[in-house]
Amino acid sequence: MVLVVLDHDGNKLRKGTLEALTRARRLAEGLGEKVAGVLLAEERAPLEEARKYVDILYTATLGPYTAERWAAGVLAAAKEGAKAVVAPSSRQSRTYLGRVAYALKAGLLEDTLDSSLEGGEVHATRYAYLNRVTQRVKAPLPVVLTVKPNTTPLAEPLGTSAEVVPLSVPQVPTVEVLERVAEEKKGVSLTEANVVVTGGRGMGGPEAFKLVEELAALLGGAVGATRAVVDAGWRPYGEQVGQTGKTVQPALYIALGVSGAVQHLAGMNKSKYIVAVNKDPEAPIFKHADYGIVGDVHQVLPALIEAAKKLKD
Amino acid sequence: MDLSGATLILDQMDEYAVEEALRLKEKHGGEAIVVGFGPERAEEAIRTALAMGMDRGVHVVFEGFADPVAVAEALVPVLQEEAPTLVLTGGQQADWDSQALGAALAEGLGVPVVAWTTAIELEGDTARAKHDLDEGAEWVRVRLPALFTTQQGLNEPRYPTLPGIMKAKKKEIRKVQAEVRPKAVLLSEEIQEKARLGRILDGKDPVAAAEELVRLLHEEAKVI
Amino acid sequence: MPIDFSLTEEQKQLQALARRFAKEVIMPVAREYDEKEEVPWPIIEKLHEVGLLNAIIPEEYGGMGLKMLDEVIVGEELAYACMGIYTIPMASNLGITPVLLAGSEEQKARFLRPLTEKPALAAFALSEPGNGSDAAALKTRAVRQGDHYVLNGTKMWISNGGEAEWVVVFATLNPELRHKGVVALVVEKGTPGFQAVKIHGKMGQRASGTYELVFEDVKVPVENRLGEEGEGFKIAMQTLNKTRIPVAAGSVGVARRALDEAKKYAKEREAFGRPIAEFQAIQFKLADMLMGIETARAYTYYAAWLADQGLPHAHASAIAKAYASEVAFEAANQAIQIHGGYGYVREFPVEKLLRDVKLNQIYEGTNEIQRLIIARHVLSE
Repeated sequence: MVLVVLDHDGNKLRKGTLEALTRARRLAEGLGEKVAGVLLAEERAPLEEARKYVDILYTATLGPYTAERWAAGVLAAAKEGAKAVVAPSSRQSRTYLGRVAYALKAGLLEDTLDSSLEGGEVHATRYAYLNRVTQRVKAPLPVVLTVKPNTTPLAEPLGTSAEVVPLSVPQVPTVEVLERVAEEKKGVSLTEANVVVTGGRGMGGPEAFKLVEELAALLGGAVGATRAVVDAGWRPYGEQVGQTGKTVQPALYIALGVSGAVQHLAGMNKSKYIVAVNKDPEAPIFKHADYGIVGDVHQVLPALIEAAKKLKD
Repeated sequence: MDLSGATLILDQMDEYAVEEALRLKEKHGGEAIVVGFGPERAEEAIRTALAMGMDRGVHVVFEGFADPVAVAEALVPVLQEEAPTLVLTGGQQADWDSQALGAALAEGLGVPVVAWTTAIELEGDTARAKHDLDEGAEWVRVRLPALFTTQQGLNEPRYPTLPGIMKAKKKEIRKVQAEVRPKAVLLSEEIQEKARLGRILDGKDPVAAAEELVRLLHEEAKVI
Repeated sequence: MPIDFSLTEEQKQLQALARRFAKEVIMPVAREYDEKEEVPWPIIEKLHEVGLLNAIIPEEYGGMGLKMLDEVIVGEELAYACMGIYTIPMASNLGITPVLLAGSEEQKARFLRPLTEKPALAAFALSEPGNGSDAAALKTRAVRQGDHYVLNGTKMWISNGGEAEWVVVFATLNPELRHKGVVALVVEKGTPGFQAVKIHGKMGQRASGTYELVFEDVKVPVENRLGEEGEGFKIAMQTLNKTRIPVAAGSVGVARRALDEAKKYAKEREAFGRPIAEFQAIQFKLADMLMGIETARAYTYYAAWLADQGLPHAHASAIAKAYASEVAFEAANQAIQIHGGYGYVREFPVEKLLRDVKLNQIYEGTNEIQRLIIARHVLSE
């Protein structure tokens, strides 16, 4: 069978799980196999929801998450005949599945953009070298595959309710969890952020940056500023992106009210995707943008925040 | 993509691992060994770690692509021979963007893995450590030997100083030929082109434009 | 002996260390120190921490024992980030060299060891307000009085002069003897009568402290004399034969920086619908820059090799110094040109390159003096 690790938050399956299910179903179809799910819980899990998406559901309640416990849980299910283990990518899943892949002597395909069965082997596309290179890789079965978020359509329920098989998961030597700490969102470091939202002179004044901060927070990113804005005293020098500030290379760079002077471009033009909002259609930034809106940033930014909020739900 | 002329340097994530090993040794004594896996010219990266202060190195020589599980399989016997108290490695490898090496090694060695560590304190037979989860962080206690994967925030890696570089000249790097059986095969690699898409929308209706932009970023660019 | 153009493992590591230091420690603050005309002590301290300060001091005195080629490798990398800041360790080595060439074992230990134990600088004082190129016409007077010399006079344009733990001062015992009357004396900081006055308003290399040194009845013990009376001029010339080479390395670093900045700008800036990097006029400039950098570097390495081998290197170092500084000046000039209006403003890094590297054509022997040295060599064969 093809085994899917069903990630959840205690109450609902996570979105990434539904993407992983789609990928698993494609592989299962090609192999003529069933799709099994393994639902591991610290205390609670969405059992009834999970049953709707798979042909057979393995379950276990393991107590506090540790990589060793989750690896043991997945392996206990995989021993039932998994030809492939598919899971949504997360730091945790990539850790325990590293253990699983070793234990199964499996081909590991990490954080994939797509995957398919070709000639009995699994082919996949993924990024390497800090997201700058696209790789095509393949591995023979058995395979452990993690699915990059936002790459795959979400699976629909099957219309059936799977049989539930409780797993007997052996105790394994592991860490003792002492204390969980909810991290206060210490701002993402500008140079390491995956998303940077920068405000330029077009923002009009320091108060408008509250919205810039809001958008950055929504997207899990950092706030940047142009030299003009820093010179004007609206934002601190530590946020300056450009020739005389920091150089950043995020996956997404959003430039709001930024003209696109060469000095600024120098600090961000290696970003994967550049988005610009400016009321001047001739602004140089548009020549360097993947996407953009010609419009008043004071109207567009609130609308972007609303749209981003909607997306989050 | 042709790496034949490129210099292979110490992975930044691994720098935190090297630095932590050096700090633990400075505080608690013991030997700090750096193990590297890769082609001959990867030796330079091992020398850098030695120049930072590691005592000696082991170079498992292998040319070509090897997936993290295969790398772990090759390294496990080497590590078992050294019988370390702690093993440290970067949380993510900067070449394959893989996060699996630490966990796979831990599985092979039969020890627990503490991933994305931001603090380690030794307490005799055990260690107390802080590490990141998907949401938030946690403090754990683990029996040694154990494996830790490292990231920014654990420490500030030192420079390989000039005196360190000169001392490193005399330090041993043991070469080992490895049994490597890669399962994943690299079919192709391409640097992504940087030509900009230039999809500029009219913002006369700001709400509609904003929604369309967010949709494009989510569905087409897949970046949010 | 086979020619080998490759660097050894340690040299590569040294280069990587210097390059990283330049990028992480010097580049972020170079402009600020240039604007403030302030000596960057935090950088000097960090150079000491990583082992790059006063690194030519031999191991037996607590130093790193770097060879000339090693210095050249480091020099290019540090100067890439800022020639002015590089001049500080470079000028310290300039002060150390006469001690290495002419000092006794006791003097080497006494003067050099302290420079390895903490961040500290040395300096070399030959030029005076009234004479630079005409070095033998120096007027600073030393008079022997029993167990010490009494020193009177003024030195000018002395890098590190106000910061140095000690300065090697070249003075005359008898002006009529011209170069045969010169003595080299090590004057320690704080000696009564010794004053350093900072020179302000320099065009470039403003992070490096340049001083006028005033000596009023300064007593210098005989134990601080390097070599014999009358040998001072020879010591100075032998020193400069060597220390020109790191200047050349610095010039190569500046030229390389000019090229990198020009290249970056040319790929971004558009005119007539295309990046200007696609136009021949720009391409020719970039090509000329690289031609200069590659040849200057190769020759500088050769001069360094000669020095390390103990072979005569006076004319080779003169060629390297003159040639590299002219290559670098032209490269900085063209980099500004490529930047157009943006090259003319301080916000962009290229105007500083020109201001900085102009001095490389003047100090450590003007390029005119270098040409005299080279011509002398031509005519002597």
